[in-house]
Amino acid sequence: MSSAATTSPSVDKVDGFSRKSVRKAKQKRSQSSSQFRSQGKPIELTPLPLLKDVPAPEQPELFLKKLQQCCTVFDFMDTLSDLKMKEYKRSTLNELVDYVTVSRGYLTEQAYPEVVKMVSHNIFRTLPPSDSNEFDPEEDEPTLEASWPHLQLVYEFFIRFLESQEFQPSIAKKYIDQKFVLQLLELFDSEDPRERDYLKTVLHRIYGKFLGLRAFIRKQINNIFLRFVYETEHFNGVAELLEILGSIINGFALPLKAEHKQFLVKVLIPLHTVRSLSLFHAQLAYCIVQFLEKDPTLTEPVIRGLLKFWPKTCSQKEVMFLGELEEILDVIEPTQFVKIQEPLFKQISRCVSSPHFQVAERALYYWNNEYIMSLIEENSSVILPIMFASLYRISKEHWNPAIVALVYNVLKAFMEMNSTLFDELTATYKSDRQRQSDDSAAGRRVSERCSFVLVCSDLELKRGLRSEGSSQF
Amino acid sequence: MDAFKLMKELRLNYEQEVHYLPKKTGLSLIASSVQDDGRISAKCRDARVEDLWSLTSFFGYSTQTFVLAVNLLDRFLAMMRIQPKHLSCVSLSCLHMAAKVTEEECNLTPSDELIRIGQCRFTASDLERMEKIVAQKLNFKSFAVTALTFLHLYHRIALSHSADRKETLSLEQLEAQLKACLCRITFSLAKPSVLALALLRQGIEAVRSEDMLEIAYHIQKHLKIADSELLLWSERVARCLSDYASPECSKPDHRRLQWIVSRRTAQNLHSYRNVPELPTIPEGGWGESESEDSCEDGMSSGEESLSSSLGSDAEGPYFPLHLHRQKQHLRVP
Repeated sequence: MSSAATTSPSVDKVDGFSRKSVRKAKQKRSQSSSQFRSQGKPIELTPLPLLKDVPAPEQPELFLKKLQQCCTVFDFMDTLSDLKMKEYKRSTLNELVDYVTVSRGYLTEQAYPEVVKMVSHNIFRTLPPSDSNEFDPEEDEPTLEASWPHLQLVYEFFIRFLESQEFQPSIAKKYIDQKFVLQLLELFDSEDPRERDYLKTVLHRIYGKFLGLRAFIRKQINNIFLRFVYETEHFNGVAELLEILGSIINGFALPLKAEHKQFLVKVLIPLHTVRSLSLFHAQLAYCIVQFLEKDPTLTEPVIRGLLKFWPKTCSQKEVMFLGELEEILDVIEPTQFVKIQEPLFKQISRCVSSPHFQVAERALYYWNNEYIMSLIEENSSVILPIMFASLYRISKEHWNPAIVALVYNVLKAFMEMNSTLFDELTATYKSDRQRQSDDSAAGRRVSERCSFVLVCSDLELKRGLRSEGSSQF
Repeated sequence: MDAFKLMKELRLNYEQEVHYLPKKTGLSLIASSVQDDGRISAKCRDARVEDLWSLTSFFGYSTQTFVLAVNLLDRFLAMMRIQPKHLSCVSLSCLHMAAKVTEEECNLTPSDELIRIGQCRFTASDLERMEKIVAQKLNFKSFAVTALTFLHLYHRIALSHSADRKETLSLEQLEAQLKACLCRITFSLAKPSVLALALLRQGIEAVRSEDMLEIAYHIQKHLKIADSELLLWSERVARCLSDYASPECSKPDHRRLQWIVSRRTAQNLHSYRNVPELPTIPEGGWGESESEDSCEDGMSSGEESLSSSLGSDAEGPYFPLHLHRQKQHLRVP
C-alpha cells in the first residue's frame, strides 16, 4: 500500500497550484540554437600554426586565414558531432582574442572585412522562436544558446577588436554599416542573458565610435521600443538597450535637442505601461532621472505622465512607480515641485490609503526622506490638507498595525510642521465626521422607511394580481 | 444655566484650584535646570508634552484628556524627582489615566497599543504599576480643576451675556490655543483661572467685542484677580500664540521617530541607485556628421570626462591614448 505516486515535485506548489514553470520543466529544452547545418560529411579544418610561432611579417596573413577558418559554424545541438573540430575552433578563437588584445601592427585594411565577416557568420542568425507564448520572463528559466562556447569567444573577440588601439573607425565604417547594426539590434531579442550582455557592450562601443551611425541607432531603438509597447509587448533586450541609452542620455549636450525630449515623452514614459515592467524598471528609472538632471524643466511632463499611467490594478507595479517617483523627487528643483505638488500628493494620498500594505508602506516611507520632507515643510499649507483626510482615516481603519505606526510618524511630522493648520483640519474633520454620521443615521431612517413602503406596495401589487380585493395599506 | 449659577460655579472652582496646582518650587526647579543634568529639564518635559498631544490627536482623545494628563504630569514631576529615562513611562501613564476617566470605554486605546504607537520600550505592566504610583502620590481619583474647566465656564458666561455673538468666539480655537500654551512648562506656573482668563481676553480682543471685554472684566473682579498678574500672563500668552500662529514651522525632529518597514520593502529601497557599468558617451558637437576621425567630433563638445571611463570588461583604454593627449591640448584655455 503506497501513497499515490506524484510525478511533479511538490516544492513549487503555491496554494496548491503548481507554478507554470514546473509544469513545463519536463518538456522544455534548456538549450536551443538555430544554427543548423545540413547533415553531411563532417567538417575538416586544416590545423594552422599558432600566431606566436610564426615571425611577425607573416602574422597578418595567418591572422586572416584563422579568421576565415572561424567562419565555419558548427552544430551544437548535436553534441557528438565534430568534437575535435569544435575544439580546434574554440582554441583558435581564444588565440585570436589574446592576439587582438596585445598585438600591434596586425590590423591591416584587409583585416577589417574579414573580421566583420567572421563575426557576422557566427552571430547573425534567426533566433529560435520562444518556446511557447506563455514564456514568462519573470518566472521561467531562459533558453540558453547552445553554441555559447564559440559564440562567447566571438563576442569577446569583437569587443576587443573594437577597443583596440589600432582600430580605425574610418576604415571600419565601410563594413560596420546600417545593415550590420540592424542585424545586431535584432539579436537583442535573444533569450540568453549572457549574449545580451555582450551585445550591450558591442553596441555601446559602436555607438561611441561611429558618429555617423548614431542617429540611425537611436531611430532603430525608438522603433523597437514603440513596437514593444504598442504591438507585441515582447522583446527580451529592453533592459540592455535602456542601459546603453542611460550612458547616451548622460552625455547629452545642453540645451537638449527636441528629438531627445520627444523620445522621453513618446517612448520612455509609455514604456511604463508594459506588463513586464519589473524586468527593466531599474534601467528605465535611471534613464528618466538622468533626463531630469539634464533638464529640470522636463520634470512636470514626466511626473504628469507617470500619474497618467499610474497602475490601477497591479500593486507590484505601484510599488515600482513609488520607488521611481522618490528617485525623481530626490533630484527635483523646488520650483518644479511646486508646479506638480497637488496632483502628486493626491496620488500619494491614494497610495497611502491602499489596502495593499506594501504600497501604503512605500508611500509613507517618503516622510523618512529628508529632502522630500524639506519640500513638504515649505509647502505644508498646500500638502497637508490633501493628505490629512486619508491619513486620519487609515490611522483608525487600516488592518495592518505597522502601517498605523508609520501613519503616526507622518501625522506627528505634520503636527510639528504646521500646528495651526493641523488643528484646524482636525476640528473640521471631526465636525464633518459628526455631520456625516448624523446624516447617515437620518439617511438610514429614510431608507428604512422607503424599503418599508416598497415592501408594502409590493404586497399590494401581489394582492391586486390575485384580485383579492383592496389592500389594507 | 443662568448667569448667577455660572458665577457661583466659577467661585467654587476658583476655591478648589489650589488643590490641583503643581508645587511651585518643584516646577521652577525643572523650568530652570539645564539639559543633561541627570534630571528632567524644561526642554524634555516640553517635548514629552508635545508627544502627548500627538498621541491625543492620533487616538482621537478630547482636549480634556490632554489637559488633565498634563496637569497630572506636572504635579507629579513637581513632587517627585525622577530620572529622564522614566519620563516616557510617567507621561504615558498620565495620559492613560486621564483617558480612562474622560473618554468612553469604547474609545479607549489599550495600553499596549499606546506603548507601540508611542514607540516606548517598557511593558504594559510597567505602565500599570506607574499609574498606581502616580494615582497614589497625587491622591487622584477622577477629577481635577484645570485651565480647561475655567475656559469652558468663561466661554459659557461670555456667550450667555451676548447671545448674538455665538459664532465669533470659538471654543475650539481657544482650546487649541490652551493646548499650545501647555506645551511650555512656564504656563503651568500660572494659576489655571488666570491662564484661562488671559486666553479668553486675547480671544475677545481678536474679535473686537466690547461687550465681552466687559464681561471678562467682571469675571476678573469677581474672582479678585490682580491686574498685574493678569497682565503678566497675558503678555506671555500673546508671545506664545504669535509663535504658534507664525508661518515658520519648527523642523520636525526625525531622529526620535522610528521608521520600521517590512523586509520586502526595505530590500527594494534605493535599488535604482546602482552605478551604471557603461561609460558615458558624450553627444557630438555639431550634430553627428561623418568624419574621418570619429573621435574629433566627440572632443569638441568637451562634455564629460573621458578618462574616468573604462568598460566593465574592457582590457584596454576606452579611448586610445593619443586622443587623451589631444584632449588635454584642447583644455588649455
